[in-house]
Amino acid sequence: MTLTIVSLLPSLQNTNGDAENAAVLASRARWAGLDVRVVPVEVPEDLPERVDAVVLGSGSDSSLERSREVLLGLHDELRRWGTEGVPILAVGTGWELLSWGIELADGRSIEGLGILAGRAVPREGRAAGDLVVKASGGLGLLVGFENHARDYVGAEASPVGRILAGSGNGRGSGQEGVRMGDVIGTHLHGPVLAKNPQLADAMLARACERAGLEYTPGERTHEVDRYADAARTQQLRTAGVAASAT
Amino acid sequence: MKYAPAILVGRLTRIAARLRKPGGGSAVPGLVVNTIAPGYLRTTLSGFPHGLVVVSGSSGKSTTTKMLVAILRAHGESVFTNPSTANISQGLTSALLEQADWRGRVPGDVAVLEMDEGHGARVMEGVDARIVTLTNVMVDQIDRFHDSDMVAGMLAKIAARAHGSVVVNADDAYLERIAAGLGDGVAIRRFGVAPEVLAAAPRGLGHTETSPERLDRSAGVVVASVDGASAVLADAGRDLAIGLPARGTHYAVDAAAAYSTARAVLGEQFDPEVAARALSSIPAVFGRGERVSVRGQEVDFVLVQNPASYQLNVDSIAPGTEQILFAIGSDVRDPSYFWPTDASSLGRVSIVSGSKADEAALMLAYDGVGIDRVEHDLGRALDDFLAAPAPATGVKTIVFTADAMRRTRTHLGLTGAE
Repeated sequence: MTLTIVSLLPSLQNTNGDAENAAVLASRARWAGLDVRVVPVEVPEDLPERVDAVVLGSGSDSSLERSREVLLGLHDELRRWGTEGVPILAVGTGWELLSWGIELADGRSIEGLGILAGRAVPREGRAAGDLVVKASGGLGLLVGFENHARDYVGAEASPVGRILAGSGNGRGSGQEGVRMGDVIGTHLHGPVLAKNPQLADAMLARACERAGLEYTPGERTHEVDRYADAARTQQLRTAGVAASAT
Repeated sequence: MKYAPAILVGRLTRIAARLRKPGGGSAVPGLVVNTIAPGYLRTTLSGFPHGLVVVSGSSGKSTTTKMLVAILRAHGESVFTNPSTANISQGLTSALLEQADWRGRVPGDVAVLEMDEGHGARVMEGVDARIVTLTNVMVDQIDRFHDSDMVAGMLAKIAARAHGSVVVNADDAYLERIAAGLGDGVAIRRFGVAPEVLAAAPRGLGHTETSPERLDRSAGVVVASVDGASAVLADAGRDLAIGLPARGTHYAVDAAAAYSTARAVLGEQFDPEVAARALSSIPAVFGRGERVSVRGQEVDFVLVQNPASYQLNVDSIAPGTEQILFAIGSDVRDPSYFWPTDASSLGRVSIVSGSKADEAALMLAYDGVGIDRVEHDLGRALDDFLAAPAPATGVKTIVFTADAMRRTRTHLGLTGAE
């Protein structure tokens, strides 16, 4: 049994290295002694038969339309994965494309795929910097960077968590992200799963549970997580958040 | 006469700054002059008889600028240029003040300026350039430049200031779009690589978006081949062998950019042979594959500035290199954009250091690189790294970002060309 992790649109949606989250999941699965592969999906035909976890990164605004076109061809699958409990991590504009829609600053709007509740709306100035979130659902403190041109509304009932530092969904919500079952949308970009091992392991545990496998983090996982721990501690200090604020 | 008082004040400020910090090149005099004589920078930049040449882009602008200046000087042109650290407005004014007479006039036939892509659009407001050369659009400093669209937008603004020619890298799809949007009356000149050169770069050339087609030899200056630190440029039906300041296709592309731009500047005066000789005599740049003897040890310094140069430089480190010090400094605010790179060929790193040591260690660990030690204090890391016996094979290698490079130079008391 090989776990299959799908990296959606890695060439269009990887501005900040978000697509590397697929590799992070694969490494951790390998360190746990599991058989695993990453399948990049650039067009619907690339889709493998079995999908155990999905990662979709952020792109630039000029690729929104092209990415949407491709994602539309995967609409049924995305919807099915969502209801079946396949863990999906969508970051930045990738998340926005899975929402109800995106309102652009010039007044145009792009219809989303409607997988996640809420929509992206223009914000004044860009949000860029540290983002620290006290997540619900046993995910603890999520630490990373944000870099986005839009706020997100309509996620008030099911955010990923409450903001301790940064802008997150904005509009005075004090919240970050949206979570519906095992589908997560977040502004936390880059190697969010490397920096937040608890989130990576939650996704892997879920994927393994569906596949009838056991997930127990390996020896190497603990070694690598010590680097993550140190990087988290440093960023929390920079962001002015006490590590004990859990 | 108009600027004489401001120049005097700027000079005095410079003396004061030097007294306070001996040897320090300071942006403060520039700041002062920009404040009391806001028109000075604009007027002076527009006043060179053979015009102003601006080089900008994500990567390669320092090297391209140096090469261009060397070619122009070899043709007997008197050139004013800025040190690469002074590529924003205050620094530029300070650099002009270094050369200015008491009235503020700067000697030189032509000015060649390296321009920061972020600040360039503002510096260039009201300034007319004769020629603008754009090197590329690559992912870089995402906390500052949010994405490639933003960088391309800023470069388009700089390009719009050119009234003579715009020289673009034809392999860069973003730059080709900028060229397509320029007004009539501005000549477009192109440089690029031959299909074989692109095919020989397994990870591509690092452009955010590579153009679908290669430049035809009849349409510009083409890098026909690259072999280590030498290359062949094809121009107007002839092949020119040139030497590069270090191994790497990107240096050959920089050379093609400088060559095309020099041709645009000099017109009839341009001599391909003189240009090729000038290019071949460019000394190695500090931190770019340079071997230095320090504390009785041979050390290779490798500077990584953005994901493209990171990948190229990491790939150029011989597999099995025993002793590597890897330092990411505070210039990398958010290291996310480095994650798509692959450093697995390093195998093992002796010390990871710099103010972003933990982030760097995390990234290397996921690339499957073994890490002997994480040492946050770069000074201590350098001392211990250099104190260890020389490796049985290969050379001690220090990989660093710009900030870590500056700290390394200061710590080791290394001076010299930027």
